[in-house]
Amino acid sequence: MRRNWWRWVVGVLVVLAIFFPSTAWMHQRITQYKSNYKTPLNPTIMVPGSSASQNRFDSLITQLRQETKVAHSVLKVKVAENGQLSYTGSIRRGDNQPFIVIAFENNRDGYENINKQARWLNVAFKDLVKTYHFNHFSALGHSNGGLILSLFLEKYFAQTPRVDIDRLMTIATPYNMESNSTTEQTAILKELIAGRRQLPKKLTVYSVAGTENYSSDGTVPANSVNQGKYVFQNQVAHYTQITVTGDNTTHSDLPQNRQIVLLIRQYLLQENLPAKERAQNQADTKRRSITGETGLP
Amino acid sequence: MTGKRVPLRGLWRLNQRIEQWRAIRAIKEALRVAYPFILVMTLIDVVGQGVLTKSGFFFQIYHVGSWLPGLEIWRQLFQVISLVINGIVAVMVAFTTGHYLARTYRGDALAVGVMSALAFLTLNVNYDALNVPMRGNGEDIPQFMENNLGPQGIFLAIVVGLLVGWFGCHLMNWLGKWALKHPHWGQLSWTSRVAWPLVVILTITVGIGYGLSWLNDGGLNGLVYQGLSAMVTNPGHRGLMILAVTAINNGLWWLGLIGPVSLAGNSSVTSLQNLAYAVQHGSGWNAPNPITLHTLGDAYANFGGAGMTLALLLAIWIGSKQASYRRVANQTFLPNLVNLNEPTLLGLPLLYNPLLLIPFIVAPAVNIVVAWCAITWKLVPPIVYPVPRTTPGPLIAYLGTGGDWRALLLSLVCLALSVAIYLPFVRLANLAGGDEHAA
Repeated sequence: MRRNWWRWVVGVLVVLAIFFPSTAWMHQRITQYKSNYKTPLNPTIMVPGSSASQNRFDSLITQLRQETKVAHSVLKVKVAENGQLSYTGSIRRGDNQPFIVIAFENNRDGYENINKQARWLNVAFKDLVKTYHFNHFSALGHSNGGLILSLFLEKYFAQTPRVDIDRLMTIATPYNMESNSTTEQTAILKELIAGRRQLPKKLTVYSVAGTENYSSDGTVPANSVNQGKYVFQNQVAHYTQITVTGDNTTHSDLPQNRQIVLLIRQYLLQENLPAKERAQNQADTKRRSITGETGLP
Repeated sequence: MTGKRVPLRGLWRLNQRIEQWRAIRAIKEALRVAYPFILVMTLIDVVGQGVLTKSGFFFQIYHVGSWLPGLEIWRQLFQVISLVINGIVAVMVAFTTGHYLARTYRGDALAVGVMSALAFLTLNVNYDALNVPMRGNGEDIPQFMENNLGPQGIFLAIVVGLLVGWFGCHLMNWLGKWALKHPHWGQLSWTSRVAWPLVVILTITVGIGYGLSWLNDGGLNGLVYQGLSAMVTNPGHRGLMILAVTAINNGLWWLGLIGPVSLAGNSSVTSLQNLAYAVQHGSGWNAPNPITLHTLGDAYANFGGAGMTLALLLAIWIGSKQASYRRVANQTFLPNLVNLNEPTLLGLPLLYNPLLLIPFIVAPAVNIVVAWCAITWKLVPPIVYPVPRTTPGPLIAYLGTGGDWRALLLSLVCLALSVAIYLPFVRLANLAGGDEHAA
């Protein structure tokens, strides 16, 4: 009888010793699944620069659609000054790589305005996440759009902790505004550098510069684009600078520059480019170095 | 015995009759000899698979990786032992089956046993490897289809053992008589009495094996498994189909065709869809695929492995008076806890045991129906989170639903039901008390 009693105690102890650790393990695993899980919906958010409307990327998108043979659907969002959102277009059902263009009614240049636009971007972004339930995305910013995105990532992105950003590509983004100086920092650069610790650690950043001559794309000084390294380098997972020269490299032509379209496909959309086009891209890079183009420092 | 027991009486008589068959007796003896080896192997596997591998249940819940020193060495040691025994268990069964059958024919048992082991091996030679020159750099294709020599191959081993045992004995006897009739050919030595049948049998099996190698890559065993897997792996969403597949699968286990369908549903497309849904919505309620082989069979009808053998062990503890049954139950409880039930199947033996075939198929089927109703009536959510293969049966549903108490309750109900289904058959086996099973 006494032996039986002991057996029961041992049995109950064994059950408890399995049950409670396994419950704890289960909760831990579920949180892990939740944090690792990526929705199939993986939009690319595009932000145009100053003075540009939500239609700024139309020719780029047409080009991407033609080349990739994928009918990426497009949703355009315009944020009014009071934070009101107006949508045009839609995300087609089943399209997991849509483009979302976010533009602002007040699209003027300047430190104050860019900060406001970052706040408005946050308003639109939260609404998009709530509507479409994606938990990761990539972003493309042209000109000041890159500044708006960077500011947004530093100041507001933490408000949506369940969403991750995979890749950010900025095209001709003047991190130091119109300044050509390599030593003086404008207000916006100071702000970006001060808040860089808030940038997501797993982010991959590509900064693309175009140059008409050796110092500028006609609007933005190459030195200003280069200052991005003080924001991203040693903070995000990868930071890559790319310079594109040749035809169509004036500031406003850059988004539909063939080379840049290829870069977007290869790096931002992570397509497997056909060998022919990849070779073309590489040949171009090589040619650049042969002609003695000074690479970025 | 009351009138209610009459059908069981009939079953008992059938059982007694079948047990008289020479082939069944040989199989039982063969499995009895193989049992201790399988038991040791499985106990080692319990530690190896449950505690030491990364996907093991105990490895995960006790975080073994973070405190056990020399983990890699432990893993390798356990793997070596497990490989050696696990790798050739079917060869052993082929030998013992042939051996015992030959003994009943009063033939040369040892020689016939070795013959059937060799015949079984020739059926599992990897003919692809013969065309490739040896390179000796460790990248050679294995000479044998190693999978087929493990528990997977037990059915084929039994068949080969029986056929070779019968044919070899008769051939040897006939040779002996023939030599007596024709004395001018000289005295037939023991060597040639073994050598000639061996040549004949190996010629036949090599011919079969070589012919099959043109058909597919897995040998005869691979052919059987391929056919079965194609039939049973994708039962879709329909409850009846799942029921039929599980029943067929368990029937095959009973024949020694171990494992055409295994607890591999964690990674199927439907399971991944369910997981994606649960991660987004916080629970498995309304998951897109509530009724699958995984959510029904793996969660509620696989405690201890195919056929709810964990319930069989409990039924034995409750109702069996047979010392051998109780002994096997005690010895194999731990492996059953982590869903490795091969030693139970071979030890009782459950394979080719007509008494236990009925509950072995009925108990999981009943559980599937119960779970099916519970899930369709939204009493429990389906399991959505992956669980390790070595998770103790009654915990699978609880952990897989993310800690739903109703799922745990349903698991316990299923376990109790299965015990109740096994119990009368286990009690029936008590009648054999005076037989060879007596302690």
